Amino acid sequence: MSVAINIEDVVKRYGDQTVINGLSIDIKPGELFTLLGPSGCGKTTLLRMIIGFNSIEGGAIKIDDKVVNNIPISKRNMGMVFQNYAIFPHMNVKDNIGFGLKNKKLDKSEIESRIADILKVVQIEDFKNRMPDKLSGGQQQRVALARAIVIHPKVLLMDEPLSNLDAKLRIEMRNAIKNIQQQVGITTVYVTHDQEEALAISDRIAVMNKGIIQQVGKPKELYERPSNLFVSKFIGTSNVIKAKVERKSDDVYLQFSDGYTEQIRNISDRATNNATVLVSVRPHEFIISTDQDGIKGIVQNNMFLGVNTHYFVELEDGNKVEVIQDAEVAEIIPEGQSISLKVKTNRVNVFDVENEESLIEEGVANEVG
Amino acid sequence: MKLGKKNKFNTWNGLTIIILVFFAVFIIFPLFLVLKKSMIDTQTGEFTFTYISKFFERKFYWVTLMNSFKVTVVSTFLSVAIGLPIAYLMRRVKVKGSKIIEILIIISYISPPFIGAYAWIQLLGRSGVITSFFNNTLGLEFEGIYGFSGIVLVLTLQSFPLIYIYISGALKNLDNSLNEAAESLGYSNIQRFFKIIIPLIIPTILASSLLVFMRVIADFGTPMLIGEGYRTIPVLIYTQFMSEVGGDDGFAAALCAIFIVVTLVLFLIQRMVARHYSYSMSALKPMITEKSTGMKNILSHGFVYLTVLLAILPQLVVIFTSFLKTEGGQVYTGGFSFDNYKNILFGKNLSVILNTYKMGLMAIIIIIVFGILIAYLTVRKRNVITSILDTISMFPFIIPGSVLGIAFLFAFSDKPLAWSGTAFIMVMSFAIRRMPYTIRSSTAIIGQISPSIEEAAISLGASETKTFVKVMVPMMMPGVMAGAIMSWITVISELSSSIILYTNNTQTLTVSVYTEVIRGNYGNASAYSTILTLTSIISLLVFFKLTGKKEVSV
Repeated sequence: MSVAINIEDVVKRYGDQTVINGLSIDIKPGELFTLLGPSGCGKTTLLRMIIGFNSIEGGAIKIDDKVVNNIPISKRNMGMVFQNYAIFPHMNVKDNIGFGLKNKKLDKSEIESRIADILKVVQIEDFKNRMPDKLSGGQQQRVALARAIVIHPKVLLMDEPLSNLDAKLRIEMRNAIKNIQQQVGITTVYVTHDQEEALAISDRIAVMNKGIIQQVGKPKELYERPSNLFVSKFIGTSNVIKAKVERKSDDVYLQFSDGYTEQIRNISDRATNNATVLVSVRPHEFIISTDQDGIKGIVQNNMFLGVNTHYFVELEDGNKVEVIQDAEVAEIIPEGQSISLKVKTNRVNVFDVENEESLIEEGVANEVG
Repeated sequence: MKLGKKNKFNTWNGLTIIILVFFAVFIIFPLFLVLKKSMIDTQTGEFTFTYISKFFERKFYWVTLMNSFKVTVVSTFLSVAIGLPIAYLMRRVKVKGSKIIEILIIISYISPPFIGAYAWIQLLGRSGVITSFFNNTLGLEFEGIYGFSGIVLVLTLQSFPLIYIYISGALKNLDNSLNEAAESLGYSNIQRFFKIIIPLIIPTILASSLLVFMRVIADFGTPMLIGEGYRTIPVLIYTQFMSEVGGDDGFAAALCAIFIVVTLVLFLIQRMVARHYSYSMSALKPMITEKSTGMKNILSHGFVYLTVLLAILPQLVVIFTSFLKTEGGQVYTGGFSFDNYKNILFGKNLSVILNTYKMGLMAIIIIIVFGILIAYLTVRKRNVITSILDTISMFPFIIPGSVLGIAFLFAFSDKPLAWSGTAFIMVMSFAIRRMPYTIRSSTAIIGQISPSIEEAAISLGASETKTFVKVMVPMMMPGVMAGAIMSWITVISELSSSIILYTNNTQTLTVSVYTEVIRGNYGNASAYSTILTLTSIISLLVFFKLTGKKEVSV
C-alpha cells in the first residue's frame, strides 16, 4: 500500500541560479523521512518539487516507479501540512477536513465516515464544528494533519509543521505526528531545521546543506558517525579540536596539545603519519581527569542541570569547549579551577582538515554503534 | 506558484486579456484622444503646439494654474496643521466623546466638498446668515467669503479629516515603548513629540498631504460655486469645454493634457515618498490615552470640539435648511416645512434619486468583479502584463474627474462606440474613477492571505478555478467589501465628471444639488444633499458593521 519515492538527479533553477544540482534520494515505503538542514539549504524547495509547487528543471521524481514531473498537483494525490497550517479560516473544522474529499466526488456517507474516523485519529472530535480562530495552535495543527491524510494520499509532506508551536506543545505534537504516521503507515517526507526534532521523529534523515545531501542515515548513525564536519556540528553539540596523527608500527595515536596522546583504533589509512586532523568531541566524550595527563584547561563556568553538570572550559590554546559530567560522579568543580581533559577516542569522530570528510573506518564504526 | 510553462492559455491569461481590453477602451483610448486632440489642429489635422502654447501665452489662462497651486498648497498646509494635532491629541489625551468625534470627522470627509461650499455660502456668503448678522449689528460691509479664502476654508475643512485618518492610523502603529524609552532618557513631552513622534510619522504626513494635494487640485465643485472670479484649472477646463459659443475641443484637450502632467508629477512624487520613507512599525503596545487635567485638558477639548464642529457644520446647515420653508428658492423665511422634500420627491422627477442608486449599484458591481480579479492577478499571477494592468488601474488616481469626463466624450461620441448621453457611459465613468479604492483594499487583503492556503486547496485536489472561487474569494470578501463601500460612497458623491457626461435622463443627486444651487433653489438643493448625506452615513455604518472597526482606510 505504501509507496516509495525515488528522487533521481533532480535539478532546480531559479533563472540563472541553480539551487539544487543533481540530487538523488530513495525514500522507502512507509518510512518517515526527514530533510534536515539550516534555512536556505534547499530542503523546502525539494519538498515543493515533490508535490509540484516547484517545477523540476532536470532529473525525475518517481512515486511508485512512476515519474510525476509533469503530473498536475491536483492529480498527484499527495497530502501536505504547511508551516502555517493554511487552515481555511472561513470554514469550520469539519469543512476544512472535508474539503479534499468533497472534491473527489465521494458518497456523502463515505465522506462523513472518513471525517469521523480521522477526527478520532487526530483526537479533535469535540471541535468538529468550531471555526479555526477558536482553536489553539496544537488543535489547528491536528486539523491540518487530518485534512492532509483524510484524502488517503500516496505521500504525506510536512513543511516545518511544528515551528509555530511553543516548546512544550512541539514535543507533544511531534509524538502525536509520529504515532499517527505509524498508525496510517503512509510514506512521509518531513522538513525541519530542528535537529532534535529530526532525531526524535524520523526513521531516516537526510542532512542537507547548500542544495547538497551531506549524509543519509538513521538518527543514531548520524549522531554517532557523521560523515563530515558539517553533519557533526549540525547534529548535536560538537567541540572541534586539532590533533596530530602519530603512527607507531601498527598502532595509531592522536596527539593533542600539552603532549596528551591517546590511541585510536578505528581510523582510516588516509590519516597519514604527522597529518593534522580535526577531532570532534561531544561534550560527554570528555573525561575530566584526576591525574595530570590530558588537555589542560580552566573551568570558566559551571551549570548544574540536575541530571548532569555542564562545564565551559577554556583550553590553553584559547579554544573553548563544553564538557558534560554526570551529576552523581563528583562534586561540582568550582569556576577558575584548572583541570585536565581526556578524550574517549573510541567514540569521537576525526575529520580531514582539508575536505572535512570523516577519517573513521566504516566497519569499525559499526562496532561502536 | 511556479507551475510548468505549459498551458499558456488558461483562464487567468484569458481574464488578463479581457481586463486589458477593458482598460484599453475605457482608459487608454480616451486619454490618447485627449493627447492627440491637444496637439492636432482641429481644422487642418496637422501637428501643432498652438493649443498648448495658447495656455502659456495668455495670463488669463495660466493664472488659473497659479491659482490652483496657491489654493492647493495653502489648503494642504492648513489641513496638516489641523489634522496632525487633532490626531495626536485624540491618541494622547482622553477626549470626551472621542468615538463620536471620530465618526463625525469621517462623515465630514466622505461628503462631497461642493456641498460644503454651498453650505458656507449660506453662512458666510454675501447674504449669508453670519454675514448678515455681523453686517447688521456692527454695521460692517463684509462682502462674504468668496474667491481664494472661501475655497481654502471649504477645502481645508474637507481635507484635514484625510490627514487625521492617516496619521491616526500611523500613531496607532507606533509602539509606546519608543515613547517610554525617550522618556526614560530624559526627554520631556514636547521634546518627545518633535524628536520621536514627528520623525516616525513624517512619511505618513508626506503621503497623506500629497493625497490631499491631488484631491484639492482636481476639485471642481468648490471653486465653481464659491470661487466666483477666482478660477482654477478644473473650472477653466469645464468652462472652455462647455462654453456656449461652441467649446474649443483642441484647447480643452490641451488644458486636460497640461493638467494630467501636473497630477502625474504629483503622483510620482507621492509614490516615491511612500516607497523611500516608510518605517515598518507594528505596535506591541500602542499609545494609551490619558486623562488630562487643568488648562491642557480644556485647550485640548476646545481645539478638538471647535474644529470638528466647523467640519461638520456644513452638513448640519444643509440638513437644517432642508426643513425650512422656501419662497422663490430663498430659505430663511422663517418656519419649518417638508415642502422641499415634497418638491423633490413628488413635484419633480423622482428618477434623479433612483438614477443615483441604480447607476451607482451597477458601477459597484463592475468595480467588485474587476477589483477582485485585478487584485488577484496583480498579486498572485505577477508577470509583465499583469504589472501593466496594475499600473493602468491606478491611472484614475491621477486623472481629474473633469478630464475623464471630457476624454469620455471625445472617445464615445461617434460610432461604433457612440455611448455619450447613455446611462452606460455614466456607469463606466463611475466604475473607472472609483475602482482604485476596491483594488487597493482587495490587494491589501490578498497580501494577508498566505499563499499556502491556496496550495493547501490545490494539494487537496481542487482546480485553480475552484480554489479561487471557494477559498480565495470568500477569504477576500471583507477587504473587498470594505473597499467597495468606499467606492460606493465616492461614486454617489461624484460630481466633476458627471457634470460633463450627464443628460436629463441620467441626472444624479450631486448634479441636481449643483444645478439647483446654480439656479438659486437652495431649498431643493438642501433636500437633495440631505438624501445624499444620509445615504453616505448609512453606507458608512454598514462599513463599520462589516469591518468591525470604527475607522476607515482610504
